[in-house]
Amino acid sequence: MQEYAVLIPLLPIFGFILTLFLGRKLPGQGSFIPVLAIAGSTIISVGVLLEIYPSGEVIHQSWHWFSLINIGILVDPLAAVMLCMVSFVSLIIHIYSMEYMKGQGERYYAETSLFTAGMLGVVIADNLFLFFLSWELVGLCSYLLIGYWYRKPSAASAAKKAFLVTRVGDVLLLAGIFITYANMIKFAPDSQYPLSLLEIFRHITDIPPLQLTLITLLFLGGAAGKSGQFPLHIWLPDAMEGPTTVSALIHAATMVTAGVYLVARTFPMFLAAPYSLVVVAYLGAFTALIAATMGLVMNDIKRVLAYSTISQLGYMMLALGSGAIIGMAAVGIAMLHLISHAFFKALLFLCSGSVIHATHTNDIRLMGGLLSKMKITGYTMLIGSLALAGIPITSGYYSKDAIIEAALEYGLGSGDLLPYLMGLFTVLLTATYIFRAWFMAFVGKSRLPKGKPHESPWLMTVPLIILAFCSLVFAGAVNSWFGGKIFVEYVGRTFERIAGTDPEVLSAMGGYHLMEVHVEHSFLILPLAFAVVGVLIAAMVYWAKKPDPESIVSPTNPIYRLLITKYYELPIIDFISMRITMGVAILTKVVERIFIDGSIWLITQTGFLLGEILRMAQSGIVRHYATAVALGTGLLIIGLWGWL
Amino acid sequence: MMFTISAMILIPFIGALLASIFRGGAKAIALVFSLVPLVISLVMYQQIHDPSTLSYVEHYGWISALGISLKFGIDGLSLPLLILTGIVFPLTIIYSWRLPYTPQVFYPLMLVLESALIGVFTALDFIIFYIFWELTLIPLYFVIGMFGGPKREHAAIKFFIYTHVGSLVMLLGVFALYFESGIGSFDLLSLIGAFATLPTDLRNIIFAAILFGFIVKLPSVPLHGWLPDAYCEAPTPGTVVIASLLSKMGAYGILRISLPMLPAVPSLTLFVKIIAILGVVSILYGAFLALAQTDLKRMIAFSSVSHMGYVLIGVASFSALSLSGAMFQMFSHGLIIALLFMLVGVIQSNTGTRMIPELSGITNKMPIVAFLVMGGFLASLGLPGMSGFVAEFLTLMGAYPSLPVYVLLALVGVLITASYYIWAMQRALFGPYNENLGEVKDVGAIQMLPMAILLGLIILFGLHPAPILKLFEAVAVFVEVLI
Repeated sequence: MQEYAVLIPLLPIFGFILTLFLGRKLPGQGSFIPVLAIAGSTIISVGVLLEIYPSGEVIHQSWHWFSLINIGILVDPLAAVMLCMVSFVSLIIHIYSMEYMKGQGERYYAETSLFTAGMLGVVIADNLFLFFLSWELVGLCSYLLIGYWYRKPSAASAAKKAFLVTRVGDVLLLAGIFITYANMIKFAPDSQYPLSLLEIFRHITDIPPLQLTLITLLFLGGAAGKSGQFPLHIWLPDAMEGPTTVSALIHAATMVTAGVYLVARTFPMFLAAPYSLVVVAYLGAFTALIAATMGLVMNDIKRVLAYSTISQLGYMMLALGSGAIIGMAAVGIAMLHLISHAFFKALLFLCSGSVIHATHTNDIRLMGGLLSKMKITGYTMLIGSLALAGIPITSGYYSKDAIIEAALEYGLGSGDLLPYLMGLFTVLLTATYIFRAWFMAFVGKSRLPKGKPHESPWLMTVPLIILAFCSLVFAGAVNSWFGGKIFVEYVGRTFERIAGTDPEVLSAMGGYHLMEVHVEHSFLILPLAFAVVGVLIAAMVYWAKKPDPESIVSPTNPIYRLLITKYYELPIIDFISMRITMGVAILTKVVERIFIDGSIWLITQTGFLLGEILRMAQSGIVRHYATAVALGTGLLIIGLWGWL
Repeated sequence: MMFTISAMILIPFIGALLASIFRGGAKAIALVFSLVPLVISLVMYQQIHDPSTLSYVEHYGWISALGISLKFGIDGLSLPLLILTGIVFPLTIIYSWRLPYTPQVFYPLMLVLESALIGVFTALDFIIFYIFWELTLIPLYFVIGMFGGPKREHAAIKFFIYTHVGSLVMLLGVFALYFESGIGSFDLLSLIGAFATLPTDLRNIIFAAILFGFIVKLPSVPLHGWLPDAYCEAPTPGTVVIASLLSKMGAYGILRISLPMLPAVPSLTLFVKIIAILGVVSILYGAFLALAQTDLKRMIAFSSVSHMGYVLIGVASFSALSLSGAMFQMFSHGLIIALLFMLVGVIQSNTGTRMIPELSGITNKMPIVAFLVMGGFLASLGLPGMSGFVAEFLTLMGAYPSLPVYVLLALVGVLITASYYIWAMQRALFGPYNENLGEVKDVGAIQMLPMAILLGLIILFGLHPAPILKLFEAVAVFVEVLI
């Protein structure tokens, strides 16, 4: 299978081209083409993973592209598991879309296929240029798909916001790439392709540590843009303007994980960079907490899930940050939760899509009692919610527990327990907000103004069942039930066979003290306790109605107001983006008018004036001319004499 | 291969004569004759062995007493620009096919312009270079003056005052160089070689004078005053040619003449700093100005100022990578800006307006135009996978080691550029259709063809820049030797 690895991102590109140009003439708007192409990618991805497992073998193929840049693929354990997840989840969502987006135009299928290609490119790229190219391709498709219903002004506006906010991150990433290049040509002048990941890893120890801090923090800025980390998270909730399948595919399962993947991919650089991993840990923990609080009050079911995505991505960052103590295992733990989250979040989004399909509303205040009418959707969504809340035996329980444990080890090892405590408290909030949504939608009396909801067709429910199965068993199966932490150990060995990535050497550069921390078993029960309490709170308020939610949710409650305005996000963003930027723009316009146009006016007026004066000299009397000529020649000669 | 370049210059000129005689076939004649330089330049591309040195050199005596001779030649710097010229002219002619310009006047003017441009890009004698340089203005004056917008005379005069002052200062600089060094030849390479022998204080002045002439043409802030009016008042084909090709004359002059002189300039660091500042100020100032515009054509005009700033960054960087990126920016910008101005022309003629607030949701009525506008805007904002990104990426990355602060400031410009394009797209293309525009037709097949070709080339060279980039790289390595 290895020789076909190149096809993993290429097949969906062919799918894109075929669907775009032929889709209109084909049955089902050609929606089967991307499905077949991505099925091909999935098969190759799984085949490659099986071939290189469990040896930790690395596939690397590279060709010259142009200038100092190569084009190539790198499949190591990290990339292999990510490839499998991306292609598989994308395949499931594409199958679901065949029904959900029926009759909405072939452009949708073409764009999601291109998106999948971009995401697979991000994962498989062996150098930062190709990585950035794919990264931007993903951003472009996200832009196109959020604005898919372009006639809706809110969709057009959300698309713009998504593009520009993530662009801030992209520019930071670009700056990081430039600084990497500058360091590479300075400290590793013999390297042929200074942007190749393997070459960079080989030369990490040649680069000054503080330069690495600068580079990795800029990378983290890029990751924050794509992965919705504070304060660049603001685009993600608005991105829910796109079709629900897009939210599932792009804004939950795959694209938003690209930022986390970037940090995981360049983890050896982070490990060798002083302070960087601490920043990663804090950023992750803080984002997890603050997004969870906002998730508590949202009434749009998709927005609840959007804030939950931001929060869960924060957890993954927290896991990576705890690598300051636990080393390379952090990559495995983050990836375990990343994949686990991809399953249950895709499931939750597709369930909400099924609900929206049936009720024609996004507002959970208008739903209620849906469980009796939509059994499959209701129960699969329950599984997704349990997984998100971290209740045993779901996949989310194992993967989130691993992160909380890693954060605790980080806290005990470094003596700084704050990230752990933020992460732990977020467990409670998570369980509360997701079960608030589930109870409001599925139990109680129906509050639908009109229409009779019904279960969705099989093309939509079968993917739900598959994803529910994965959400139940994935993390447990790969990392717990069958002989220890197989997954974390395998992915943690990613950098073992790559030159220049010895964790001992790197962590010494970065000033981190890797250690085995002994954790009391009694601590490990805490996240479960918090999760159960969270579910109970939601059940009390939104099922048993004690206390009545109406008494808490009111505009006079200052905490509620703070959360529902998203911490006064709009005025702040408006000030930064509109007032300041447009202020400068208008200033340049004034400068242009006064100085540039004004100076031309001045020059032309002076010209006319001089012309008038000179015209007076045109007396027409030959004697005057002769005098002028003689005078001029004389002055010229004197002048030249002086010069020479 | 004796007369290859002469043929390239003369054939469009002959075409111009024929087109003005046979008015019925003027369009067809123009198209065929404008394609000849493309064919010749592609043949040259096939056969060129070493793009780092001059080839196809032609040398004829002319005014030997003054050391003026007819000398032409090409290398890796000029060949891509010849190819660009060869691409843009036929496409502009196809684009103008159905437009109401008097054929026996309009098409000959375009062909003369093509001849003159080829002359500029191939001349190796300064006087010949200067003659062609000024010759470009004459057909352009008539194109703007006869077919332009309501304020065309004002715009044309402004354009002329600016470029004439610039050209004159440049000419004086070269005369000073010629007379003071006493080499008795206007051969470009000899002049550049003689520059180092001059007294130090004179070298600063001469270098500044020559640079001034080129910077006006580029244009760089603050000498861009002619640009918005000239771009906006010229008829669409005129705007396309000015923005795509004439602005490259300034950049070409800087790379061909000023840059080789730079190491011999006594106040080297000062000049490098000035060039870098001009570059970064152009990038930022142009971008912010574009953000403040409501006229689509003016917005794109200022974006052009912003994008040409990259050339100056590349010049100031003294890095072969950055310089090759800056050269590639000339080529890439030539394609992108041609596409953008063609699109504005279509939007204006089909909807009757080019003001962004008056255009809303035109995707509903003009899906093809909307698709092309998105492609063009995304290319211009530097989306990876398109040629502009390769150019900007290489320019900035190569310049970072020597000019870190400037590069980081330029990145702010990248962000602003994304803002004005994405914002304009949101307002003009998306949202509900503005019914006040009435029934609007999409672009016809004839005008769509050149635009589709341009977009295809932009993507092709974005994914596979090597065929053009390798020529530039061969020339650009010389800066590493200079320092």
